[in-house]
Amino acid sequence: MTQPIGAGAGAVGGPAAPAPAAPSSPAEPVGGRRRTARRRHTSGVSGWIALLWLAPALALVLGVVVWPAVELVRASLSRYSITGLRKGDAGLDNFRNVLANDSLTTVLTNTVVWVVAVVALTILISLGVAQFLTKEFWGRRIVRWAVIVPWAASLVITARLFSLIYSYYYGTLNAVLLKLHVIDTPIDFIGSDRLIMPSMIVVGVFVSIPFTAYVFVAGLNAIPGDVYEAARIDGASAWQTWRQITLPLLRPAILVATVLNMIYVFNSFPIIYTLNESNPGFGHDTTITFMYKLAFKSAEKDVGQSAAAGLFNVCLILVAVLVYLRVSSWREEES
Amino acid sequence: MSTRRHLRGAALVAATAAAGLGLAACGGGQGAGTADGGGSGGKATTIKLVAAEYSKDHTKAFWDQFAQAYKTKTGNTLQVQIVSWDDIDQQSSTMVQNNNPPDILNLNAYASYAKDDLLYSSDEVLSDSVKSDLLEAFVKSGTYNGKMYGMPDLSSARAMFYNKTLFKEAGIAEPPKTWAEFEADAQKIKDLGKGNIGYGLPLGPEEAQGEFSIWLFNNGGDWKKDGKWSINSPENVETLTFLKTLAAKKLTQNNPGKTNRQDAFDLFASGKVGMVVGFSPLAGTLDKDKKVDYGVAPMPTKAEGGEPQTFGVTDYLMAFKKKGNQDAVKAFYDLYYQKDQVNQFIKAEGFLPVTKSGIQEFSSDAALKTYLETLPNAHLTPTDDPTWDKVKLAVQQNLGTAITGDPKAVLDKLQQSAEAGG
Repeated sequence: MTQPIGAGAGAVGGPAAPAPAAPSSPAEPVGGRRRTARRRHTSGVSGWIALLWLAPALALVLGVVVWPAVELVRASLSRYSITGLRKGDAGLDNFRNVLANDSLTTVLTNTVVWVVAVVALTILISLGVAQFLTKEFWGRRIVRWAVIVPWAASLVITARLFSLIYSYYYGTLNAVLLKLHVIDTPIDFIGSDRLIMPSMIVVGVFVSIPFTAYVFVAGLNAIPGDVYEAARIDGASAWQTWRQITLPLLRPAILVATVLNMIYVFNSFPIIYTLNESNPGFGHDTTITFMYKLAFKSAEKDVGQSAAAGLFNVCLILVAVLVYLRVSSWREEES
Repeated sequence: MSTRRHLRGAALVAATAAAGLGLAACGGGQGAGTADGGGSGGKATTIKLVAAEYSKDHTKAFWDQFAQAYKTKTGNTLQVQIVSWDDIDQQSSTMVQNNNPPDILNLNAYASYAKDDLLYSSDEVLSDSVKSDLLEAFVKSGTYNGKMYGMPDLSSARAMFYNKTLFKEAGIAEPPKTWAEFEADAQKIKDLGKGNIGYGLPLGPEEAQGEFSIWLFNNGGDWKKDGKWSINSPENVETLTFLKTLAAKKLTQNNPGKTNRQDAFDLFASGKVGMVVGFSPLAGTLDKDKKVDYGVAPMPTKAEGGEPQTFGVTDYLMAFKKKGNQDAVKAFYDLYYQKDQVNQFIKAEGFLPVTKSGIQEFSSDAALKTYLETLPNAHLTPTDDPTWDKVKLAVQQNLGTAITGDPKAVLDKLQQSAEAGG
């Protein structure tokens, strides 16, 4: 029984290669542009004309990526007054101060919990949602539109909405739970040290599902129907089909969705900032809101330290993504 | 196959870096407008004002009208940028960082800017007649190192707001005069049941220093005494412990360490709260809603028969030293402190005057009587000390933790950081 399916999965190893083209397209332009530029240069075809065509894009990259990055590094090496006035060079003091911050451990733990929980839950739930969305049923178009809504709405508005839903005194969630006699006294979803993180994770997952589900819908649509037909003829159960055909063929989509979600969720500012508005200190901040508060809201109020924290953030997410890519491709080799 | 995967990996890494850097860098660059208009003969004819938004309805309307009047009177142009209180720290910091400050900045702090030698002193930009009209308390709070840099734009004073309906229901005849009476009254209101709350206590990060200030002033405490920080003085520890006890006895709303001022005001405006420390803009909201029958009383004191103390706040209009803008800036202040301008603004926003002539003008308003009498003797936070600008932030981020933690430890830590220079 298992053997034919195993063989089937092996056989579709071929189609797996072209499959990534569709879902990985968001990241494609960067790689694509680089490749073209390199080829033109090496083949010696009028470099100046190529440059002319590339100029707008290059200017954009210089202005939007390179220049801010240079400024960021410069700021991280400078000593700033609380007013924002640059007072001179700081050497590596800003980096040292960030590392010496009492709250750093808490903030890093929060970040790991936040990113891992939101990304894992998002991927799991989106797999289900995507399966649902690819089925034919009456009103599918409406459901598909409805799923997009949380994605289309501004994060700040969504976060603000959730802080109203969660509110202790006026929150709709508490009102419903009280009416249904599930609870006797309201639950302090965003004031309680125990509940704030789960509450934030729910919002994080809620806004991440649309994008992820649509990546998976694209991935599912790219799986050829004859593979399923072959599985059905071989008598595979629904679970076996899903586990041994759908999931392996969806791997590229899952890889892309995971990496992009890691970046989005790690960089997510509005949800954490808004839901924590009335919470003092850094107790529930991630490295992103920590960076912001260092510059403007905390007793440090130091642009330099904040810039240093910003550089740490870039390194952190780079390393996380590299590690994830390494681990996942290593598994691919093994299987 | 492996090169393809490699490339994909590289693309993802590049995208990651771009995304990360993009966000990290967005703190810089935004919000800085072109400030210095080209002046003839080195004199600026266009100056820029960055003002805080006190209210959606009135702030912009006032400054637009003011810019008109300024143009008519001086021929100079005044560019007005209104920024919300949430963003103004970030915006002003970015402007200074980019070496592009406005000519006039409206903020709740000035001393750090004065310390960095960025500001004009009153000797340079304030006419004598204007300066002599300012209330002493505000001249004092605007003075750093012997010179005045922080020109007050408006002021407020706090007082105890109480819900007359709830007081009647609970059988309380008059507002409490001592802390013991206060606690007993809060208990009576709580005992009414139906979710009623004795006292709305906001120690969340929005303005923890304000709430704590008015309580500690009424226990003989202060932030600084005789030029030395006294944050962890016995009176202050006693005060914070008292507030903690209120929370422990459930006489306050849920989670007071994580309640912002606005949330406490909203609760009071919903009619469920017996008492809250408020100021005139809250009265404005309540009068408009007509939902809560409220009274305003002086703060209760710790000691029997003590003199009620009030906490005053003023915000500042400071002027940045920029080449050639001194005359235009001076003209700005001359116009702003004209009676019909400054008092018109203060009236529209529902705050209190900063000038002697203003007190005279407002004295006919019965609703403001409680505040006006106390205003000249109001206690302020030590805004004249640049260290306070950092201590204030530390207080905002830490005071609320005393509700679940140890008040003395929290104050000790704040004292330590204040002594270390913030």
